[in-house]
Amino acid sequence: MAAYLSMGEAHRRIADYLSRVADSVSSSDGAALASLLAVSSAQATTPLSDALSAFPDFPRLAADRYPHLSDLLPPLLRAIHSHSLRRFADAYSSFEKAANAFLQEFRNWETPWAMEAMHTVALEIRLLAEKADRELATSGKNPDKLQAAGSFLMKVFGALAVKGPKRIGALYVTCQLFKIYFRLGTVHLCRSVIRSIETARNFDFEDFPVKDKVTYMYYTGRLEVFNENFLVADQKLTYALVHCNPQYGSNLRIILKFLIPVKLSIGVLPRITLLERYNLLEYADVVTSLKRGDLRLLRQALERHEDQFLKSGVYLVLEKLELQVYQRLVKKIHIIQRQKEPAKAHQIKLEVVVKALKWLEIDMDVDEVECIMACLIYKNLIKGYFAHKSKVLVLSKQDPFPKLNGKPV
Amino acid sequence: MAAAAPADAKAEAAKVDLLEDDDEFEEFEIDQEWDDKEDGDEAIQQWEDDWDDDDVNDDFSLQLRKELEECNTQKI
Repeated sequence: MAAYLSMGEAHRRIADYLSRVADSVSSSDGAALASLLAVSSAQATTPLSDALSAFPDFPRLAADRYPHLSDLLPPLLRAIHSHSLRRFADAYSSFEKAANAFLQEFRNWETPWAMEAMHTVALEIRLLAEKADRELATSGKNPDKLQAAGSFLMKVFGALAVKGPKRIGALYVTCQLFKIYFRLGTVHLCRSVIRSIETARNFDFEDFPVKDKVTYMYYTGRLEVFNENFLVADQKLTYALVHCNPQYGSNLRIILKFLIPVKLSIGVLPRITLLERYNLLEYADVVTSLKRGDLRLLRQALERHEDQFLKSGVYLVLEKLELQVYQRLVKKIHIIQRQKEPAKAHQIKLEVVVKALKWLEIDMDVDEVECIMACLIYKNLIKGYFAHKSKVLVLSKQDPFPKLNGKPV
Repeated sequence: MAAAAPADAKAEAAKVDLLEDDDEFEEFEIDQEWDDKEDGDEAIQQWEDDWDDDDVNDDFSLQLRKELEECNTQKI
């Protein structure tokens, strides 16, 4: 296609693109500018990319026509050109130059008219960096562009997270940073941005756009899961779930992927219909094991979905449900005993628990069971004491199996 | 020599794999806002916190009862 393009036509197309960028700047049209900067979402061949191939001297054309935008336009065109040739590392490097020039301009504009364009640059630089890193990694080079994009976005964050009308755009950039940090496994870097967002005295969190609040709560909720702060994780992920646009089913699903283990750890179970609807059936056996007191089923479920649970980082949370399952099992033994012999129902021989576990194919002796029971008492999952000599667990007559009621173990 | 190639490929795959977050949140459109009326009723009704009942008539409990009874009779 490009071969048939006359120089005149190529020149015209490039000039047209440049004038649209310059016009959107001079008329403060943020939406128009944003769409002109969306490099990575462009098709491989567009009228503009064909023109850039046919007219290699495009950087000079840009610099000559618009000297006041000479830091922005030439690298922007280079990025578009390299991207259309699928040379992503080159495209990234050029785009980063253009992005820095754009940020410089953005800082000087007093009003936030170009926020949508700034956000587009923030998104594009992340997506381009991901493509560039994939290219670099497969050719055996060091994939360092995403990290570089993170550094650039920190500068953007610095320009937005200030007093004044631009602050409303800071949360979007925060969310782009989270996506980078989670991908690179450098989540500790989230801390300073979170502090800056959450300690602001002159800006109410609720005033941020809802889409950014939902994304922010999802990522900070995940961080709280890693830190085992289940109550805060519950709050944040529930916020994300409740406020998420219901049309984004995949987002609802991944919020639930983390919210479910959090809820389980505070003794709240999801209904099976919820698991079915969002295709989260890997949790179905875990839920059943809690209801039954079926330790074998819990262990089987963890083993079967081990890779999946480890990958999303919820394995340890689920493993800790074991104590709740023990509680449930002892409670069932207690109820069964009570029906048969009410007078002795509060005395549970450790031998009986050993038998029950053996039936569940869990091999433990009396001492080990005593140890587990001591742990349950310590964690306030059982109220009672040991008659150590006679190897009997004596349950409290009042509320021997306290419910978690939304508190973590 | 022959063994080196697959190992390299594996290391390569691991390197690329480092750049993954399977649980990445899908982007909302940049200019998108929606009616945020806390319509979470449906999501909230999907949870049970009062499931811990005294019912022992399910299959699992019935089998547990049988096991415990067997171990009682064995002792006598």
